[in-house]
Amino acid sequence: MSVGTAASIENWDAEAFNQYVKQLGEPEWLVNLRQEAFETFEGMDWPTRKEEEWMRTDIRGFQLKKFNPPNLNAPIDPASLSRGLLADGVDIGGQVVSLNGKTAVSSISEELKAQGVIFGDFESVLAEHGDLVQKYLFQGEFDPNFDKFSALHAAFFSNGMFLYVPRNVTVEQPLHFLSLLGDNGVDLAHTLIVLEEGAQATVLTESASLDDEKPGMHCGAIEVIVGDRANLRFVNLQNWGEKVWHFAQQKGCVGRDANLFWTLGALGSRLSKVNQHVALDKPGAHCEVNGVLFTEGKQHLSYHTQQYHRAPSCTSNFLYKAALQDQSRTVWRGMIKVAPGAQKTDGYQRIDNLLLTEHSRADSIPGLEIEADDVRCTHGATTGRVDEEQVFYAMARGFTRKEATRMIVTGFFQQVFDRITLETVREALGHAIATRVREYE
Amino acid sequence: MSDFVRVAALSEIPDPGKNVYEVDDRFVIVIHAGGQVFCLDDVCTHDDGPLGEGELLGNEIECPRHGARFDIKTGKATMMPATQPTQVHEAKIEGDDIYVRLVD
Repeated sequence: MSVGTAASIENWDAEAFNQYVKQLGEPEWLVNLRQEAFETFEGMDWPTRKEEEWMRTDIRGFQLKKFNPPNLNAPIDPASLSRGLLADGVDIGGQVVSLNGKTAVSSISEELKAQGVIFGDFESVLAEHGDLVQKYLFQGEFDPNFDKFSALHAAFFSNGMFLYVPRNVTVEQPLHFLSLLGDNGVDLAHTLIVLEEGAQATVLTESASLDDEKPGMHCGAIEVIVGDRANLRFVNLQNWGEKVWHFAQQKGCVGRDANLFWTLGALGSRLSKVNQHVALDKPGAHCEVNGVLFTEGKQHLSYHTQQYHRAPSCTSNFLYKAALQDQSRTVWRGMIKVAPGAQKTDGYQRIDNLLLTEHSRADSIPGLEIEADDVRCTHGATTGRVDEEQVFYAMARGFTRKEATRMIVTGFFQQVFDRITLETVREALGHAIATRVREYE
Repeated sequence: MSDFVRVAALSEIPDPGKNVYEVDDRFVIVIHAGGQVFCLDDVCTHDDGPLGEGELLGNEIECPRHGARFDIKTGKATMMPATQPTQVHEAKIEGDDIYVRLVD
């Protein structure tokens, strides 16, 4: 992206930034981080379709000036807020719920506290464990200078969630984070998850709009740091309303003999542009990503994934399934990157697209960038329609066309559902998709 | 089907000439040629190219990315690498103004 003299946007200019930062009352080191990011933000131009990264994602309709930085003084009634889909019926160990970037609920069980686990909304954790936040914030794969949106996030991020699991501690109960957006709401949540050596945890994160018809903007980031021999099961469900702009940097790094199991559900938003990168930093690191995408209406979901093998003997396995209906669009660019010396790498990536209507479109661009000579890296992409013979077969046995289509869509996703070990997540995703499938003639 | 919406004064677009407008969250190219107006989606069906930035060649418009061409009246792809038509919308001149009606 070129650096130029992009015009300031009044409600996000230097004056607005200074006022916002003053309101946060954060320590100097963080103010300096924000200031640096703000200067980057001001100096960068908005991405255009001339850049490879944005070539298929048209954001001309997005205008930042229509939104304001989060109002941290707005009153919230926590009791009136939804608790999301993923934690329904689950015995959770802690929960953070936010609305328009402001924390409404932040809790952790006494048992986990006693184990030394730190979990809560960003503001509270910063106040109590500033040194720990300073040690890890922006130290993983998240780069505030990646593009104008990541700089915007780094300068203005508000709240979000922080989890720290100490060495060799196993967190049995899942931890839950829910971001909500109201009318014209803005969410700039920063999620930071740190598992020390030998730690284990399950984290469920999700997003939703209070009203599906209302506009909103999310410009967020996720940083996941999995220490040596640690295990993290991470679920991220994006379920914004149909008028929400979603820009996200989702970055993970995995240590020696550690495992990151990442399930991703993308169902909502008007337009999503997500960079999901995982770096396998030390020998024996393993990452598995299960992605489920379902789009409808005029939705546009753009996922740019990267599995970066930095060390030898690491394995990665990314599987995405996307079903599209109406005039919706998906763009998926996947990259397996192998650094020099990362021998015995085993990397796999695949996307399967199911087009349910004539006017939906899926662009899949898998890629390999390999600088070692003893590796196994494979990738694949498929795109197809619902098989009319299968529909006919089901209808001949008494199913309606809609039931038949729904069955085929469920079957299509089964391969990825089979890899999701959390029953509640499987059910929430399966149900959300089944209710979205329309009747086709 | 939606109603006709005024997008511009006729004098804004020379003949021959074109401009891109946002109508109902959708970007469309309005073309003024031979005393008539035409409207089509600002998207090349080959690679999502910005068709509105392309050159007008008689009754065709050429995508600046890979040279695919489309008929401005029907949206039909007339030159590889595009094979699928781009969506056309109704456009008309009323008085000194241009109106378009988007296909749903």
